[in-house]
Order: sequence, then structure tokens, then C-alpha cells
Amino acid sequence: MPEPRFRSRTFKRVHKKLPGGSTVLTHEKRTPQPHKCAVCKKELKGIPRERPYKVKKLGVSKKRTERPYGGYLCSACSRKLLKEKARA
Amino acid sequence: MYEIGRLCVKLAGRDAGMKCVIVDVHDGFFVTIDGQTRRRKCNIKHLEPLDHVFKVKKGASHAEVVKVLKEHKISVVDPKTKKPAEKPKKVRKKKELLDQAEEEPQAKENTDSEKKSSKPIKKEDKK
Repeated sequence: MPEPRFRSRTFKRVHKKLPGGSTVLTHEKRTPQPHKCAVCKKELKGIPRERPYKVKKLGVSKKRTERPYGGYLCSACSRKLLKEKARA
Repeated sequence: MYEIGRLCVKLAGRDAGMKCVIVDVHDGFFVTIDGQTRRRKCNIKHLEPLDHVFKVKKGASHAEVVKVLKEHKISVVDPKTKKPAEKPKKVRKKKELLDQAEEEPQAKENTDSEKKSSKPIKKEDKK
């Protein structure tokens, strides 16, 4: 019977094969939702989808795109916004 | 619309949102731009033309473009150009041996002269 804390769906069940050949059921925390564009809610590309302890280790340029509004708006929406700004 | 001298805003890429001037026109969809953005070939789909056309000759240099932009009150900030760190020069072994050979007799003279000239350091000097 698994520990009480593992009896919830917060943890996903992952079968792992051990070097000896036997498989073991382990419980891992779920990966977070993909980052979404603030305007059109589409998934943002170039943003790692990892748990915070892994993202913390990455360099700044790996955590978001180098474009203005990178990591906040998708490329299409940032293009639209810059076009409106240029025309204003 | 996309002729030489046209002022544009770059929409895509790292330089998005910066102003640039078309310096050269290639076939089809590509132009060469310069100004606040880096000097590079760019697709016209990634450019938003504005209503200014500056007097810039074909293939103008970066300095000329910057001058024209400054005349029209558009500031251009040059990225900080890092000076390459000086590499430590490798001293070849042969030379090291020669230097050591020269240094030894001199080192002896120095130590003798130091002993004579070294005054006892008073406590007051320390404060």
C-alpha cells in the first residue's frame, strides 16, 4: 500500500525499470502547464516546460526567447503589437 | 514602397521594435537594413514601412546611416564593443633558463645590499 501522500493524483505513477531488470512503481510530481501567450492564449515556443527546481538551473537565455515581449507574447501577437505602435 | 532610404520598424526577431533604414534592395522579398538594428538582410514581411524616405545612397555605410538618423532626431545606441582580453604570452622554456641564469648572480647582490640598507621598522610607523 503506498504512503498516504502518494494516494492522491498530485503525483503521477511512473513505472521505472531498474538495472536488475525488475520494474518499480515510482511517484513523480506532474510537469507544469505550458506557458501561454497573454493575448491569444496559444502555447509559447522556446520556453522550457519543467519544474521550478530544474528551470532555476538554466541560463537566462534558455528560459525565454530573446525577442521583445519574449516569454509573454507569442511571435504573431508581438508583431501585431509592434505594427500598431509603429503606425500610431 | 520598400525602396532605398525608406524608414521602417523591424517587427520580428531580436531587433523587433527598432527603427532601420533600407540600404539595399535584393530580389523578391529581401532588403538590407541598417540603423538602430544590426546591419543585415531582412525579409520585407518582418518590416513595417513608415512614411519617411531619407536621402541615403545604395549600400551606404553604418556611419552614414547613423548620421542621417541623428539629423531626424532618431538616436542610435551602438552596442558596447567588448575589447578582447589580452592573452598571456607563453614564455618558451629556453628563454626561461637563460633568464634564470642571469637572475641568479643579480639575486645574490640584491640580498646582500638589502641586509645592509634595511632599517629596523619602528612601532610608530606601523600605526
